[in-house]
Amino acid sequence: MSEPFEPKIVAFVCTYCTYAGADLAGTSRLKYAPNVRIVRLPCTGRISPMFILKALQKGADGVLVSGCHPGDCHFTHGNYHARRRWMVFRALLDFTGIPPERVMFSWISAAEGSKFADLINSVTEDIRKLGPFDQYQELIKETESPATL
Amino acid sequence: MITQEKYRTTVKELLSNGTIKMAIGYKPGSTPDRRRPLFIRTLEEADQLVLDSTCMTNLSGYLVTEGLLSDEKRVGIFLRPEGIRSINILAAEYQLNVDQIIIFGFDSTGREVRPLQGRNAEDFTALLSEIKENPPVIHKEPLLERIEKMNAKERFDFWQEEFSRCLKCYACRQACPMCYCRRCIVDSNQPQWVNTSSHTLGNFEWNIVRAFHLSGRCVQCGNCDRGCPVNIPLRLINQRMAKEVIDGFDHFAGLSSTQEPVLASFKKDDTETFIL
Amino acid sequence: MAKIGVFICHCGENIAAKVDCTKLAAAMGEHPGVAVSVEYKYFCSDPGQESVKKAIRDNNLSGIVIAACSPRMHEATFRKACAEAGLNPYLCEIANIREQCSWVHTDKDMATAKAADIVRSMVEKVKRNNILQPIEVPVTRRALVIGGGIAGLQAALDIANAGQEVVLVEREPSLGGHMAQLSETFPTLDCSQCIMTPRMVETAQHPNIRLLTYAEIESVDGYIGNFKVRVRMKARYVDMNTCTGCGDCSTKCPVKKISSEFDCGLGKRTAIYTPFAQSVPNMPVIDKANCIYFKNGKCKMCQKSCQINAINFDMQDEFIDLEIGAIVVATGFQIQNTALYGEYGYGKFPDVITGLQFERLASASGPTAGKILRPSDGKEPETVVFIQCAGSRDPSKGVRYCSKICCMYTAKHAMLYAHKMHDGKANIFYMDIRAAGKGYDEFTRRAIEEDEASYIRGRVSKLWLENGKMMVRGVDTLLGKPVTVVADMVVLATAMVPQPNAKEFAKTIGIAYDEYGFYNEAHLKLRPVESSTAGVFLAGACQSPKDIPDSISQASATASKVLALFSKEKLEREPVIAINNEATCAGCWGCVLACPYNAIEKKDIRDRSGKLIKQVAYVNPGLCQGCGTCVTFCRSNSLDLAGFTEKQIFAEVMGL
Repeated sequence: MSEPFEPKIVAFVCTYCTYAGADLAGTSRLKYAPNVRIVRLPCTGRISPMFILKALQKGADGVLVSGCHPGDCHFTHGNYHARRRWMVFRALLDFTGIPPERVMFSWISAAEGSKFADLINSVTEDIRKLGPFDQYQELIKETESPATL
Repeated sequence: MITQEKYRTTVKELLSNGTIKMAIGYKPGSTPDRRRPLFIRTLEEADQLVLDSTCMTNLSGYLVTEGLLSDEKRVGIFLRPEGIRSINILAAEYQLNVDQIIIFGFDSTGREVRPLQGRNAEDFTALLSEIKENPPVIHKEPLLERIEKMNAKERFDFWQEEFSRCLKCYACRQACPMCYCRRCIVDSNQPQWVNTSSHTLGNFEWNIVRAFHLSGRCVQCGNCDRGCPVNIPLRLINQRMAKEVIDGFDHFAGLSSTQEPVLASFKKDDTETFIL
Repeated sequence: MAKIGVFICHCGENIAAKVDCTKLAAAMGEHPGVAVSVEYKYFCSDPGQESVKKAIRDNNLSGIVIAACSPRMHEATFRKACAEAGLNPYLCEIANIREQCSWVHTDKDMATAKAADIVRSMVEKVKRNNILQPIEVPVTRRALVIGGGIAGLQAALDIANAGQEVVLVEREPSLGGHMAQLSETFPTLDCSQCIMTPRMVETAQHPNIRLLTYAEIESVDGYIGNFKVRVRMKARYVDMNTCTGCGDCSTKCPVKKISSEFDCGLGKRTAIYTPFAQSVPNMPVIDKANCIYFKNGKCKMCQKSCQINAINFDMQDEFIDLEIGAIVVATGFQIQNTALYGEYGYGKFPDVITGLQFERLASASGPTAGKILRPSDGKEPETVVFIQCAGSRDPSKGVRYCSKICCMYTAKHAMLYAHKMHDGKANIFYMDIRAAGKGYDEFTRRAIEEDEASYIRGRVSKLWLENGKMMVRGVDTLLGKPVTVVADMVVLATAMVPQPNAKEFAKTIGIAYDEYGFYNEAHLKLRPVESSTAGVFLAGACQSPKDIPDSISQASATASKVLALFSKEKLEREPVIAINNEATCAGCWGCVLACPYNAIEKKDIRDRSGKLIKQVAYVNPGLCQGCGTCVTFCRSNSLDLAGFTEKQIFAEVMGL
């Protein structure tokens, strides 16, 4: 009998907005799915597309990238730069067969604890419905198996 | 033939009167349909110049060869419109001084080659704007259409199949005029962002990173695609990304030598429909 | 070889109830590179911190991970403990297993598994942490106070009295804010202007305070200790240096029917005007929108009447650039637009007014010279109905929060009304009487017991006109039946809401705000006067609804924060800044464009003979704020961000 599928999701968030929003969800004792692992960065401007690829390599079934709403960036422009990169990177992933539903982007402010909780729940459910990212797991498996002649 | 002769004369003229110290063009290659780069420093070398429809390679990458332009002397170069765009990007990214470049522009339809009017990069702005507005109807890529119609799973399989052949020879990188970094991210091993073994995962990561770094900078000259020894259709990814930046940000790479790099700039009202 | 210490905090039951700390500590102890893995009830406590320090010393640890609450809570605490134990404070990382794990999950196994992932990834990160030193930056000892209401005045005076320079910027032509509009103040019933105007004068005359009225903040750049602020001085059309404030101009101004903002529309003013008699500075401005000269080029009556030629129609907005070390934001509040309560008839019936309008009626300096008169016919109202929570605590139409001051001022209004109209009858519809505060409950009791205010517990559903009288239909929830009360005047205790441009203004100065537009404090309990941005402090109702004593207390608190900041020669800043690998930099300057702070410069690399070899990016550590946008842009991976390096993040992700 196989275990029920529990999605593994990695979230890259900025410390000023989304991380603070996640803290607020905690201090408000909101409950949400335990499937997300958060990586804290100073700003969405710091979130490199490489991080997303590495999360997938670590077996993530989904990746969430989140930061301050436009105009709210602690560093004034970081999220505007990030937004452009995301749009381009997302198209690239889409074109090469990484479903856009597995790599999501959001704005969550420090005041939006409940948005954070709701989003984690909905993202977890969406990924659960998509199922494990088997195709990528195959690639990972290949790197782990010894070379054959 | 007439164009080739005219340009031979021009190159000789500019070399002898000291306007340029060198011209970069084409000479015959190993097979009739292939051309090799030619570096013309003497009048004799100018006689080897070949210019016909098979001169496909975008030569602009040679300009950023370490030390070539550091004496501030001018260099002439044979370029198709895509190559001129490359010059503009290299100038916008401070890799060369556009005033040092004398452009011998040409284009071809079928087997016929014709010269382009102008000498300096700015002379071609109108031509490039025209190309931006009315992109030449290249033969519709049936493959691109096929890929766009696939679902994610099929696309994934398609590309993994393609990438599985990748040898990580980096010919694509060497051929690309935009890959001028002294150290490529793939060669950075602290940390090793890109797996260097030629497993499909590493191949995928390499090709994704390459395409991302070229987004908004690729002019679709096709150097990478022609350079690939295992025939991965790299042009398709680049075409798709070029479409993305023009649709999303109205950015036609290499339109001018003062164009802001699309991923180092932003507009407050950039589209964000995909953001939750 | 890494020797990492892992310290798993129970936080009492806060973490331990949902995360199996014993199991977690054991698992982490097995992780490569972990030398110590222990659990404890409260690591933030004194013995807790001591045990961390001891473990660092005894085991010669190369880094520590504290698995506890959010780094926003105690990162500073544990970094300090590290330093005290001789370990570089930046070799400490916090694994957030409380706010982002135990508090939000219910399944103990899942929470424990998640906590293990969080801790493990932080262990992997901290293994790659570098020794860092804080960056020292100078402090400009000049404070900017934004807003000239009671909070701003208090902050400015406290800072100035301590001997530091202050620039006070007020948007309106005069200091005073909302407090200047009030009649008498609870719970002492002393006259607002009597206690307010001396402060205004003191501020204007203070040698350490530079007063900029009719001025707005145009931009704020820089960071704590080193802000650069641009102020727009709006054209007054009156020369401040020559005007004596005689008032001849206003007397002669032919436009006399402009609704007075200060009197909340109950009084009139001229086009050249001072907002009120005690204005500071007592110098008029020309209201360009209503001035005849500005509309059709003729009139200039004021200029003709001015004997000292102080009026200049050609005046333009001017800009002043300031170097500022700390900012106090005291931009206040506004009252909510009552138009959304059609059932209360505001705007439809002239005798339905807001609490603030009632203040103007009751004020000796107001349009009725302190007599309570109906706006419609100038008669004394025999019965007045006060409706509390007209907007507050109303998630459906108004705001969810309690505006805090309305219970008290409504009681005060009922008392003032009773004192001025001995036969008058005051009926108050209320939800709860919230009278927490020194002397507050006694005050409301007095309103009920001595001044016979009649409190009806319930909400109003409808208000209509019948035979020239206003009929107010509500419910008395204590009696459990509907009631209808006759009213000559109705006073709405409207909600306090943020200034209309509060959110845009927050963006200008770079501070966070809540869903309404009130400014967010750094920590609701522990750091209530600091904003989310270092060096910017919050005073008064711009943060949340507040009464006068609270606003003043908070203003004085900001002053003490500013003074503490100014007591230092130099500030220490987090060393989270970008650094460039000059050997691999390709000099494409994308980073220069991407940097929000212009912190990246071009640096010449020359050979021995002085010949330029290449140019590379150089990050100015004084200007870099550490967002890392340049790092992500850098294709050659030459730029990196201290504290969040590529190696650290890579390890953190791969450790998950």
